[in-house]
Amino acid sequence: MEALVHLGNGFLQVLQPANLLVLFIGLVLGMLVAVLPGLTLVMGVVLALPFTYSMELLPAIILLTAMYVSGTYGGAFTAILFRIPGEPIDVPLLWDGYTMARKGQPAKALGWTLFAALGGGLVTTTVMVLASAPVAKFALAFSSPEYFAIIIFGLASVVSLGGGSITNAAISLMLGLLIATVGVDSIYGAERFAFGVPFLQDGIEYLLVMVGAYGLGEVFTRMEKGFAGDGAPADTDRSINTEFPTIAEMLKLKMTFLRSSLVGIVVGIIPGAGATVASFVAYGAEGQYGKRGKDLGSGIAEGIVAPQTAATSSVGGAMIPLLTMGIPGSGATAIILGAFLLHGMQPGPQVFVTSGPFVYAVFASIFLGVIGMCIIGYFAIKPLVKVLELPEAVVSAFVVMFCFIGAFAARNNLSDLYVITAFGILGYLFEKFKFPIAPMVLGVILGPLAESSFMTMMVSHGNDWTVLMGRPISATVMVLAVIALVYPIQRQLREKTRRSGS
Amino acid sequence: MLNRLLRASPYIVVQLAAMYLYQVAGRIDFPAAPGRIGPDFWPKSILVLLGLVCVYEIIKNLLIGETFTAAGLLEKLMKDSGEVEGEEKQRSYPLILVGGIVLTIIYVVTISSLGFFLATIAYLALFMAIGRYRNWTVIAISSLLGALALVFIFMKVVYVSLPLGVEPFSVVSLWLLRVMGVH
Repeated sequence: MEALVHLGNGFLQVLQPANLLVLFIGLVLGMLVAVLPGLTLVMGVVLALPFTYSMELLPAIILLTAMYVSGTYGGAFTAILFRIPGEPIDVPLLWDGYTMARKGQPAKALGWTLFAALGGGLVTTTVMVLASAPVAKFALAFSSPEYFAIIIFGLASVVSLGGGSITNAAISLMLGLLIATVGVDSIYGAERFAFGVPFLQDGIEYLLVMVGAYGLGEVFTRMEKGFAGDGAPADTDRSINTEFPTIAEMLKLKMTFLRSSLVGIVVGIIPGAGATVASFVAYGAEGQYGKRGKDLGSGIAEGIVAPQTAATSSVGGAMIPLLTMGIPGSGATAIILGAFLLHGMQPGPQVFVTSGPFVYAVFASIFLGVIGMCIIGYFAIKPLVKVLELPEAVVSAFVVMFCFIGAFAARNNLSDLYVITAFGILGYLFEKFKFPIAPMVLGVILGPLAESSFMTMMVSHGNDWTVLMGRPISATVMVLAVIALVYPIQRQLREKTRRSGS
Repeated sequence: MLNRLLRASPYIVVQLAAMYLYQVAGRIDFPAAPGRIGPDFWPKSILVLLGLVCVYEIIKNLLIGETFTAAGLLEKLMKDSGEVEGEEKQRSYPLILVGGIVLTIIYVVTISSLGFFLATIAYLALFMAIGRYRNWTVIAISSLLGALALVFIFMKVVYVSLPLGVEPFSVVSLWLLRVMGVH
């Protein structure tokens, strides 16, 4: 009951004109970023971060979460209409969404996407509201071994669930953890890896790593591919409508919807697995367990509803560990955590005690964001897909500018521009040699937390690391972490045996 | 053999860096407390793990010549969908990339002298040109208006203090700020 009152007050806060305007801008920006193939969702949220520096905390978080939510939806338009997936999330939509459109039913395909995004969004937001407070209450009992185990699990899942090979992901992660150790350590005050360089003594801000590796690195990678000359790869002038499915049609897909919502929420909660993994896994699950699983790929509604529902559902799932434990599980939530920290707020188990009304306002903004993005998606597809006509070189030039301003504005320090350029080149090299960037970024973000919880654990328990296995929660989580790491290797060995057999 | 060496080269570089950093970590200066691990323990542990993973990859690529690798879930899902192979077939423009990186470094080096406004106009225009865009009118207009818009948004609205440059370039920046009413 108390939660409902807080949520009601949250809605009142978000419905204030200034916050509503920020919400609207965030939704539109998220969709634009999702539509443009050169910009990823995470990159978009990174680029929006500098605009939040002068904002109050609530509008800043509203802006970023709105971009995060609508970023899981906007790319569906171009995937279905033009076979251009704006995001990797939208790749599964090519198989049935685009096929349905090619069969002469683009409006229906867009309607199913809208239904899936709206339904998945509302379900995940409801789960987020209901689950966050109990999870935070449960997390209040956590001590340093539990925190350390959860972080290890998060890092292990980033390695095993992400893109690239497991060893490359592990190297990327360890480089991130090392970068986090640069500067003066918080316990002994000892200088580590600063080499006498003043700005290294302050440590390397993870914001610079993110902006450089995700933003500049991506631009350099696309630059090597020569940029798409003039944009407008498809006919964006034709009539584009959305035809909402009937209630009877929706009811037929209720199991697909429920299954995919569940997949999205669970995958979202697991650190390291974001909307893209959710989208692919839900599509795979539909193929395996759906009534018409064998018909997937032929342009059926299930092939649209499953990935889109899961992608949008993953947002609420990812927000739960962020808000209740301060642990971001994906690139986008890492940036949202950055915005919290920049405004002096540390999400975690205490957040419902110290800032309950604020958290419920964030929940309310996500509720309204889901509805708002569907309204915008319904009425504004045509102008949104027009951004495809923008030349990539022009868009990329401005992306670099936003990266630089974002990096500079955080500390007003020109040295930071050198740092992000270096990380931009590193990000490009990572792409080039197939090292995933996400583990490095999460390593930089979670590194200090991992080290401090490890050191506290060792001090409190007489340097006995086996305490991790002696406490039920930490032991369970550590076992999960081991499974997360071992499973892909076991899968590799199985595949290798099968290959050598055939 | 050359192929194997190329495949192993990133791991060799990381391995060498890890070995060097391990040496550096051994020289971290701190007041040691008996029975307590120091600030060097954490980075050293990471470096040892990093080294082990690199050694595994070096042996695998260089000595055994094995290319099969355990992929993350997302990689596997993308591979199964044929998306990874599709991306690899694209043409490559290394000169454009080098031009873009050099231009970016020059921008970073000169921004404190030229000031944000002038350096940004030049950077935007050159970046678009290097990026094979050839509509010069759009390049000129978008560079100028883009730089103006960025100055306005960040200095007037978001209150970020962007570099003004040194004389004589700072004259342009200061004039612009006066026109925009930024004090």
